[in-house]
Amino acid sequence: MTQHRIECTVNGEAQSVDVPARRLLSDFLRDDLHLTGTKRGCETGICGACSVLVDGEVVKSCLMLAVQVQGREITTVEGLGQGDELHPLQESFMVCGGLQCGYCTPGFLMTSCAMLKNNPDPTVDEVRHGLNGNLCRCTGYTQIVESILTAAEKMRGN
Amino acid sequence: MRDFDYLEPTTIDEASRMLADLGDECRAIAGGTALMLGMRQRMLTPTHLVSLAHLEPLCGIDFDGRRGLRIGALSRHADVANSPIVRAHYPVLASMASRVANPQVRNQGTIGGNLCYADPSTDPPGCLMALDAQVVLGSSRGERVLSIEEFLVDYYVTALEPDEMVVEIRVPPLAVGTAGVYTRFLRTAAEHRPLASVALIARRDGALCREAKIAVGASTPIPTRLRRAEAFLEGRTVTADIAAEVADIVAADIEPVSDTRGSADFRRDMVRIVARRTMAELFGLDINEGAR
Repeated sequence: MTQHRIECTVNGEAQSVDVPARRLLSDFLRDDLHLTGTKRGCETGICGACSVLVDGEVVKSCLMLAVQVQGREITTVEGLGQGDELHPLQESFMVCGGLQCGYCTPGFLMTSCAMLKNNPDPTVDEVRHGLNGNLCRCTGYTQIVESILTAAEKMRGN
Repeated sequence: MRDFDYLEPTTIDEASRMLADLGDECRAIAGGTALMLGMRQRMLTPTHLVSLAHLEPLCGIDFDGRRGLRIGALSRHADVANSPIVRAHYPVLASMASRVANPQVRNQGTIGGNLCYADPSTDPPGCLMALDAQVVLGSSRGERVLSIEEFLVDYYVTALEPDEMVVEIRVPPLAVGTAGVYTRFLRTAAEHRPLASVALIARRDGALCREAKIAVGASTPIPTRLRRAEAFLEGRTVTADIAAEVADIVAADIEPVSDTRGSADFRRDMVRIVARRTMAELFGLDINEGAR
């Protein structure tokens, strides 16, 4: 079975790792690079806990092979903040109570990060639609939506 | 997931020869969203994946007023949804693409892969059928062009030969005065797979319908063109009553599937409702859904 050298950038750092063809991106991040912030949830493309950014766009890393990110730029939840400084979304999820058990949170953070980049001033409806690839079984989503709207406002500089 | 070899051809000819040589043992991969699920569940256990990612002729979206739209098979749903060309000339297609699955899948899944998978519960095939789209297939033997009706054979079955791949999708230009609406029914707002969909492309003068194309998707094994309903609409001034009559014809003329997601009767009822909503939106009608 073919081995492939994956050369890509993860959270700004160049990586070069040999993996078998069947390595999923989620497993590559967690098991090869030890970036365990990205969660494996349903592993069937439903829950979105494994969401990461590839070239700035959100994807589900359990539905993508590591060989598909050759030469590309990946951002995981570990790359969201700057050192000890949290990203405004991380801050607002904490302040607004946008999580309970926290397992889905990295996925929600990555999805909402991409969402706000494309649409810095979303309506409640747009936020809710933008989250339809992510499941949370604790919060009922209300505080997640609040968290995102709060971060959006802060990021717009209000 | 079983082990496999990952091959990366750079020309259609090379890819076609790989697919032909490996036969049933291999699968082509574009975005891979649906393929990964099938492989993870071991419904598919290919020994080889042939990646189409490096095939230049499968890329890009362009438009020519005479020939119409060309969508490279590797275009992702998000590419179709966000393309200024598609939004300007085929807003119904952009609107449909913006609703496929969820944001993550739209950033990875491709329109070519979607058609090849021939999943009945998805958005693009029905909308493309109402637009009279064609599918261009490539192989080392050359090219052939099929209509969507010819390409989609049955539930998860296409007319693709083992050595072929979808190169591009062509959509003819729309005549002046043409508008389109794509409407679907989801059991819950968060669901990813429609239970019923109706695409209507109509050339009209105000409420007068000069020409109509209607396709029902997601509730039949492959999308269905509704020729009798189209003929009924043509030349009529569309009122709420006419829309209701057309919806009845649409619902009567389909053979819905029956499965755990919905019985045939339920699907037929929802198709009738979605058809009426679609016409109401396109012709700007007020409909009272409680009335029938």
